[in-house]
Amino acid sequence: MPETVQLFVTCLIDTFFPHIGEAMVNVLNRAGVRVDFPAAQTCCGQPAFNAGLRMDARALAMHTIRVLERPPRSQKTSEVCVVIPSGSCAAMVRHGYLELFKDDPDWLARAESLAKRTYEFSEYLVDVCGITDPSTGLRQAQPGSSGRRLDAHWEGKLTYHPSCHLLRGLGVDRQPRALLATVQGAQVVDLPHGEDCCGFGGVFSVEHPELSAEFLKRKIANFEKCEAPTLVVADTGCLMHIQGGLQRQGKSQRVLHIAEILAHKA
Amino acid sequence: MTLTSFKTRIRQSIADENLQLALDNNAQRRRDGRLAAFASLPDYKERRARAHAIKADVIANLDEYLYKFIAKVTENGILVHRAADAAEAVRIVLEIVKDLPQRSQRLALSEAEGNTKDSFVPLRDLRGKKLVAKSKSMVAEEINLNHALEAAGIRVVETDLGEYIVQLRGERPSHIITPAVHLRRGDVGQLFHEKLGIPYTEDIPILTNTARKVLREVFLTADIGLSGVNFGVAETGTLCLVTNEGNGRMCTTLPPVHIALMGIERLVPTLDDLALMLSLLPRSATGQKLSVYTSLIHSPRRPPSTSLGTGADPDGPFERHLILLDNGRSALRHSLLAESLYCIRCGACLNACPVFRELGGHAYGSIYPGPIGSVISAALVDPNFAYLAQASSLCGACKEACPVDIDLPGLLLRVRGGEGVKRKDVKRNPAGIGLPASVKLGLKAFRLVAATPRLFAVLQTLGGLFSRLYSPRRAWMRLPAWTGWGYSKDLPRLAARPFRARWKNVKQSIKETSRQVDRGQVDKGQVDREEVGLVDQFTRELTALGGQVHLVPEGELSAKLSEFLRSKGVNRVQADESVAKYISGIPAIREPDASTWLSTSPTIRAGVTGAVCGIAESGSLLLISGTGQTLTASLLPEVHVAVLKTSEILPNLADALRRPEVRAADAGVIVTGPSRTADIEMTLTIGVHGPGELHVFLIDDSETV
Repeated sequence: MPETVQLFVTCLIDTFFPHIGEAMVNVLNRAGVRVDFPAAQTCCGQPAFNAGLRMDARALAMHTIRVLERPPRSQKTSEVCVVIPSGSCAAMVRHGYLELFKDDPDWLARAESLAKRTYEFSEYLVDVCGITDPSTGLRQAQPGSSGRRLDAHWEGKLTYHPSCHLLRGLGVDRQPRALLATVQGAQVVDLPHGEDCCGFGGVFSVEHPELSAEFLKRKIANFEKCEAPTLVVADTGCLMHIQGGLQRQGKSQRVLHIAEILAHKA
Repeated sequence: MTLTSFKTRIRQSIADENLQLALDNNAQRRRDGRLAAFASLPDYKERRARAHAIKADVIANLDEYLYKFIAKVTENGILVHRAADAAEAVRIVLEIVKDLPQRSQRLALSEAEGNTKDSFVPLRDLRGKKLVAKSKSMVAEEINLNHALEAAGIRVVETDLGEYIVQLRGERPSHIITPAVHLRRGDVGQLFHEKLGIPYTEDIPILTNTARKVLREVFLTADIGLSGVNFGVAETGTLCLVTNEGNGRMCTTLPPVHIALMGIERLVPTLDDLALMLSLLPRSATGQKLSVYTSLIHSPRRPPSTSLGTGADPDGPFERHLILLDNGRSALRHSLLAESLYCIRCGACLNACPVFRELGGHAYGSIYPGPIGSVISAALVDPNFAYLAQASSLCGACKEACPVDIDLPGLLLRVRGGEGVKRKDVKRNPAGIGLPASVKLGLKAFRLVAATPRLFAVLQTLGGLFSRLYSPRRAWMRLPAWTGWGYSKDLPRLAARPFRARWKNVKQSIKETSRQVDRGQVDKGQVDREEVGLVDQFTRELTALGGQVHLVPEGELSAKLSEFLRSKGVNRVQADESVAKYISGIPAIREPDASTWLSTSPTIRAGVTGAVCGIAESGSLLLISGTGQTLTASLLPEVHVAVLKTSEILPNLADALRRPEVRAADAGVIVTGPSRTADIEMTLTIGVHGPGELHVFLIDDSETV
């Protein structure tokens, strides 16, 4: 019986980039994992939380907790991992919810229990599945097998932008880089000042457009410096922001989600 | 200060090319400097966690620590005042200043030299006004002290080079560590040309030297020295003050009265804790292992025939005051923002912040800019500053840079959530403070939709449809600039079929894996630390800072030292009692009076001192004032020569601060290299207020120990 995860696909992928969701399911399947999609999910509440509208954020957090507490059909228990293809949404569930319910013991307990089983996509593949090093995976592969691999293939130069909430919020950096290192045919080059914010920041990108535009200008300039045609991210907010800037400037480079790279085969 | 004017200032700052160049320069150098400095601290993470825990303990038990600290400071002979708010603090300062007689030296001087060309502009209009020499203090900025003093007819001169420049321009600092970070060398050249009458120049050493001359006179003639305090030590009552140029030492050593201003939160329990904090502050602030001068102040100059010694200390003020300021800190402490009181004001979060990098400090409107400023300004300066918290992408670079691990993004979120300080006089901040009503309304509508999955799905489909009507050909829509998003980027069309609709058709095939996986080699990164002798380490560190070490056998010290002084053209020296015996053939003076230093070409070019100990890890010297030992000998001459035994070199700062002499001295200083500044364009310039040359004569006594 393969293990099952709950996919929290995020409202951005659901609404704007459904193909990334599909790529993610493909990659998880190849890692030996079955995916369940709780259909009542919408948004984790991060936009409202970041804006300071905590009552509104709490309403969406409660909704999300309730939805993810329902066990998948194939499982008796709801204690399966939740996988989220976005550093900031995963950080919201892992840290933001604890802050939102810090004065509400009942909901805090529920939030803590969800936080414990929530992983960002690349983190799950590396730390739980042991894709890049089986000895570091929490879960052993199927009996009789000695490991799992994705056999991803990508021709050409890639560079990686570590998203703020993934890198500094969750401390996840080694994992996406290790996954990219397994991609055959790909030449991963360094993004200068990669750890700088791209200027998305949710409501910030709309509320302070001038500041956001300056961050974006620097990010695109650094991307061009490394001469890779493709920038890989693990957060759809950054993807939409940087690709939106490239489109506006009429540039041909692309920004792809790491799931799209890992789903790609020769 | 309103949100609208903030937005205007944001646009102005971004459009200001000069400012942008200055800020880019700052961001890069500060970041590189900080990273390089921390490379020398392998246990940085542990230190950071310990510093966080220490400050958490201090803030949680602040009343007890304050009680202990005040008792100790009072016992040491410093007059302690407590101020509940800015107005009270200003009143206390004014009362102290008004009660003082003016310094006779200055009057004599202005009669004698008042009309000479060398007398400089700032003092020309002094005429009977009292003069305050001020070292950098953020608390003074917070209470707007300069303005109040000037209004009361008291002349205040800022003596930190950056602050002096900013004061001459009639501005306020734009950074808590580098006040003139928004200016370039040409701006300073023009300013000095206009205000000080020197020919226009972009030569930074000339500009620095001009300021040195002007401010030297201020130090020596001021009625009062005013300073901030970086750390107060509860167990010993120590006031610790960190500067690079030497102005902090001047202000706290030369004028007859010293007033120190300190926020009540700036305490550490012990000298060991101070050593820990000092390993973090200069590295985070300026990328130095230690700042050039770390002053440790305990008492005013003691009257003759105290139980401790045979005579009076040769220098130091006769009277010291400490003003402890609350001004909203207690309220902050009891709020959900209490963690912001752990701040040690290093400015690392400003240097790391991408928003600060675009704006500089002035656009914020508050004297505390950057991430920490956006958290504390509403509580300490003006409740209206709460809107600053929205000007952040929450990227977390500030938290990462913070040497005491303050969760700045978390605190910014609390301010946004209206969970900041509650004040009686101000209505509670609403949730989402600083957001325009339209954005708030949009988010609330979104929440109603998102809490109802079916409605959410319907609107997704409708959105997909409308976005195709709006942009039939392009997959990325060009929105107008007023939407915010459309200002600099395109938005993708909503998917015709969202993921939730496509899910039904997703077929899953689980791969059974059986192949061997390549194991990546785990790089353990073994580091063999080379055992370096203390003398070598001390020499290497000091040399790197521009100091010089002369290793001599004890028997040859006198000859070598005297020969060295003569080679420097020195014909009179100021020398401490303990080392005067080594100088032959050159007249040595123990306590030159102020007029010696006031002449335009001081005849005493060198000061020779002993040292309690050396510190190998940073190439530092610990000096104290006391019987026969002055702090001026290492401060006022152009050349400072210290005599030290190799056996007195200790491994690190904590060891040095454990020496009993530290607690017993009225005042002490840790000297780390020659005086320096980087206040103009971050360009390192040696010899600002203190000596430009530092020589250590190291007596090799390794055989005898």
